Amino acid sequence: MGTISSAFSLISSALDADQAALGIVANNVANANTPGYTREVPNWRENTPVEINGIRYGTGVTQTGATSVRDRVLTARLDQQQQLASASGARLAALDTTETLFKPNTGSSGTNAGDIGSDITSFFNSFSSLEANPTNNALRQQVLSTGSTLAGDISNAASNVHAQRASLDEEASGISAQVNALTGQIAQLNVQIQSTSPNGDAGVLEDQRQQALSKLSQLIGINQVPTEDNGLAVTTTSGQTLVSHGTSYTLTNGMVDGLTHFFVGTTDVTSQLTTGGGQLGGILAARDVDIPGVLNALDTLAYNISSSVNTQNNAGIDLAADDSTSGDIFAQRTAVTGSAEAMRVVMTDPNRIAAAGLGQASGNNSNAIAMANLANQTIVDGQSPINFYSGFVTSFGSTVSQVQTENAAETASVTQLQTQNNALSAVNLNDEASALMMIERSYQAGAKVFALLNTLMGSAINLGSPTTVS
Amino acid sequence: MRATWRSLLTKGKTMRVDPSYVTNLVGALDQSELSQQQLTAQLSSGVRVNSLSEDPLAAGQNVLLLNQVQRDDSFTQSSNLVMGQLQVADSVLGQVVQQLTQAVSLSVSANNGTMNASNVKSISNQIAGIRGEVLGLANTSYQGQYIFAGGQTANSPFTLSSGVTRDTVTYNGDQDSNYLETPNGQKIQLNIPGDQIFSGSGVNDVFAALNNLVADYSSGTVDTAQAVKDSQALSSALNYVSQQRVSLDNSITQLTAATDAVSSEQTQVVAAQTNLMQANVATVATQLALSKAQQTALQSVIAQLGSGSLFDKL
Repeated sequence: MGTISSAFSLISSALDADQAALGIVANNVANANTPGYTREVPNWRENTPVEINGIRYGTGVTQTGATSVRDRVLTARLDQQQQLASASGARLAALDTTETLFKPNTGSSGTNAGDIGSDITSFFNSFSSLEANPTNNALRQQVLSTGSTLAGDISNAASNVHAQRASLDEEASGISAQVNALTGQIAQLNVQIQSTSPNGDAGVLEDQRQQALSKLSQLIGINQVPTEDNGLAVTTTSGQTLVSHGTSYTLTNGMVDGLTHFFVGTTDVTSQLTTGGGQLGGILAARDVDIPGVLNALDTLAYNISSSVNTQNNAGIDLAADDSTSGDIFAQRTAVTGSAEAMRVVMTDPNRIAAAGLGQASGNNSNAIAMANLANQTIVDGQSPINFYSGFVTSFGSTVSQVQTENAAETASVTQLQTQNNALSAVNLNDEASALMMIERSYQAGAKVFALLNTLMGSAINLGSPTTVS
Repeated sequence: MRATWRSLLTKGKTMRVDPSYVTNLVGALDQSELSQQQLTAQLSSGVRVNSLSEDPLAAGQNVLLLNQVQRDDSFTQSSNLVMGQLQVADSVLGQVVQQLTQAVSLSVSANNGTMNASNVKSISNQIAGIRGEVLGLANTSYQGQYIFAGGQTANSPFTLSSGVTRDTVTYNGDQDSNYLETPNGQKIQLNIPGDQIFSGSGVNDVFAALNNLVADYSSGTVDTAQAVKDSQALSSALNYVSQQRVSLDNSITQLTAATDAVSSEQTQVVAAQTNLMQANVATVATQLALSKAQQTALQSVIAQLGSGSLFDKL
């Protein structure tokens, strides 16, 4: 067409496009600090030109809307790493608490209260001291009091660990509700996205879905599987479906053996979740793997010390000099489990301690020697008591140290991926400012052209006419 | 213009920056703070390993070293207790030997035939007195325990009963010996049963010899052959007691040596444990200074970078 009026409509389409772009830039700046917001760029599209008599005429430009700049692969990788970092972080927090129960004894005279290693040594030393004067009442009392200290510290440690287990359990059970809220949200967003933009990026809805996925992956380990029509299926790391199209499957809690277990439908997914990642994975790893390990070690120590000492005491003669059993020093247990928490001294009369050997008179000390020598015998799981405790301390410390290293590495990796993601998708105010300037200039230019066209139109109208229109 | 729009769309990593990287610096600031706290804790407590995870091997080793130190300490205390008992036993036997020596010379003088009846009777009484002394010594108790009673330490081991022709001394203890075990398993004998010393398994019986001599001289007339035989029996019993004393001296020597060895081992182990667990103050102080410097630098970087964008210039 190539007329002035067509030029007018051409330029006004440009001005409209500029205004729309301005809106997008303004939106970016407004949402610069919104969590999960992905910056948008305007899409310019040249309108289809028309051809008349072999001559092409342009028809201007249109804004077709904004495109969010995101990399789905990158965000998925970020979520994966986030899962690992959250898991090791939660596990580390739990282990740090447990670790405080076994602080290394620093004084060379072994006076750290609560140190189980010193208690073991003091207890068996009390029998060594008894060798020198087997009938001495003060030395016998010493046996019972060092035994009480040992039993008290072991049972204290065990009950503290039990208490920690209970609190971890509570923390874990609270996560289900948060998970369900997020999966519900994702399911709804799936439906909305599939209906509004099944073939392209869904913009704000996509941002919201991404945000929900990021939070969810910090809570539990998930796999994200894109489905048709821009949908997303979410499963646990081991394959249990949590979200499929518009349906979310809730995670429910149930008590099994005094601990919270997690169910999807009727399937118990607890052991799968333990290795799956996320905060829940970390907590469950601490609750179901690390803490039982500590409890088992304490139980083994308590059980074996108690029964060996009791057996040895009953193999000698006490001061009452009767050949019947002298009695148990510690409460005798029938099973290893629970021995640590239940450990205590039941003997109240120091005269029932059998320092003399069978068939000997009260001044004999051979059973006291035997009791003292229990400290060097492999009575605890193939090791002497102090070697067992030393081994436990080293292996537990190593576990914590290892989780620390893992967590540091994973957190660093998350930071790196976060930086990459931000570089791509976060609002850079400098970029927005320069975009703004460009749009401003573009608008100014368009407006100028409009003014020129207006003058031209005036001239055309005035062609061959005595009256002037300005 | 189009070229610039396109560049805003592309994913060119080399061209784009993370606009929020200041938040990462905050993370580094937290780490620096944490490191400072740990170092300060080390410096104030003087201990390098404050938790198991800081050095698991050292923590495990520490348990074993402390165990050794405490055992050595306990043994030293026990050995002091026991040393007293051994020394008392030794000195008692020394006094017994003195008494018996005196008895022997009394009997020799009674046997030489130059004494009258009343002198001989007086010698009988003196020997009876010596017998009483020796009996008292044989019934010595230390810290409430009779030390020559074998295992029957609750009751006095030797009792005297008067007889028609001669008195008898009976042993009420047993043949049990106690040992003290050193930390490296050596056994040190703590006592010798009374009947071994004083009854000499029936062959060198101190009390039998004394009782015989008392009986020999009680009437005033001396059956020289019998008296000489009994004197010789007393002499050999005296020698036997001296030999037993040597056993006790051996125990004392062994115990002293063991205590010294344990004491010097304890010193070494304490030094090793200290080396393992104590913080090297110079190292920690240096690390702390570096950490503080890093923290200050980070803080000023964050303050500088957090401000301003192109919008300020528009």
